[in-house]
Amino acid sequence: MNNKQFLTELSGKCQMSTEQAAKQAQTLIDVMENLWQGGDSVSLSGFGVLEVKKKNERVSVNPTTGVRMLVPPKLVLTYKPSSILKDKLK
Amino acid sequence: MDKKINLSQLADLLAQAGGMSKAASEQFVKSFFDIISQGVLSEGLVKVKGLGTFKLLQMEDRESVNVNTGERFTIEGHQKISFSPDAELKERINKPFSAFETVEITAEQAAELSKLDESVNDSKETPEPEETAAIVAAESAKEQKTETESQPEVKEVTQKRFTRFILKLLIWILAIALVVPVLLYLFWPLVGCQILGYIDNRMGKKQPAVTTVETPKDSLKVTEIEQPAETVKPAAPVEPAKPVQATQATATIRPVKLTPADEAKDLSLFTTADTVNYRITGELATHVLKKGETLTKVALDYYGSKKLWPYIAKYNKNLKNFNNLKVGDKIRVPKLEGK
Repeated sequence: MNNKQFLTELSGKCQMSTEQAAKQAQTLIDVMENLWQGGDSVSLSGFGVLEVKKKNERVSVNPTTGVRMLVPPKLVLTYKPSSILKDKLK
Repeated sequence: MDKKINLSQLADLLAQAGGMSKAASEQFVKSFFDIISQGVLSEGLVKVKGLGTFKLLQMEDRESVNVNTGERFTIEGHQKISFSPDAELKERINKPFSAFETVEITAEQAAELSKLDESVNDSKETPEPEETAAIVAAESAKEQKTETESQPEVKEVTQKRFTRFILKLLIWILAIALVVPVLLYLFWPLVGCQILGYIDNRMGKKQPAVTTVETPKDSLKVTEIEQPAETVKPAAPVEPAKPVQATQATATIRPVKLTPADEAKDLSLFTTADTVNYRITGELATHVLKKGETLTKVALDYYGSKKLWPYIAKYNKNLKNFNNLKVGDKIRVPKLEGK
């Protein structure tokens, strides 16, 4: 499902135009991004948790050349599906 | 900070930002995530612009070991939902750390790091550079102490090292003794003439060429230099500089007399003719080496002929190893005058 299909389905469900749905989706993502920037996590029952995690710096080795690289620490947005959603997979 | 935001709180925030009623925004958020989860379950892939991609991944069966009992068992294949954030969103999230870049670690730094790991294993803070210096100093001090305490051991160690060094040296000498004749044989038509020219140039014309061929040290030098020179793109303008033209006619006779092998005669006409017939009269310029340049290249640039590089070599005796020239090395280019 690509972005377009997603938005048409969303607009159908909420009884609004596709443009409106796209606009609202963007504001929702912006709102969530602000939360993540502040260190909060977004947790939705039945869907999962979206949160920012800090990955520590590490040393990686290029297997072909053997060159050792220091990879810097970084912040990554992670998603952990809820157990309800996981159960539906089985 | 570090709060968990649930559905209604998120809907509140959305209602403030998007100008919708609270009920409508709650409905919107709910269907937003419902569609994602349903889409992933039914189609296996949902792309949301500005957020990222949710994907259903098939995990294969794999074997694992029970940590407590040591028993092997298979984890059965299952499906997993993965999420990869949108590239732009990813960058914005990582903004606090965006200044860092992946850096290569040199051997020395790696050694220092491993030292640090041993000594600062317990402390959670990342060590500051000053700290590391102190630690290294302390460690070296310790090492010195232990050295003075156990001198016999040290002696043994140095002896071992010495024998190892001699072994290595022997192996190297053997290898060189084997490789040099082979290389000489292979590249004879190219290198031989260069050597002759080079040595002629050095010894003056009185020295017969036959004897000089047998000096292995000089020949080694030249063979090694010659190889990278081959890779230099064949220079298009082979037109020699003015002095070369002037002296070429008279120059051709002498090398023919000097070269012993009949085969090499014809070639030597071309290769040694130029290299024997000049005098170094002064300094023309100093050249700073750029990337990819060799002595032959420099010779080509200044004299219009690759063959004249031995003059540069002769004039720069202070640079002993021409194989190990670095970018930025200064090379003095001599001024040449026909004999």
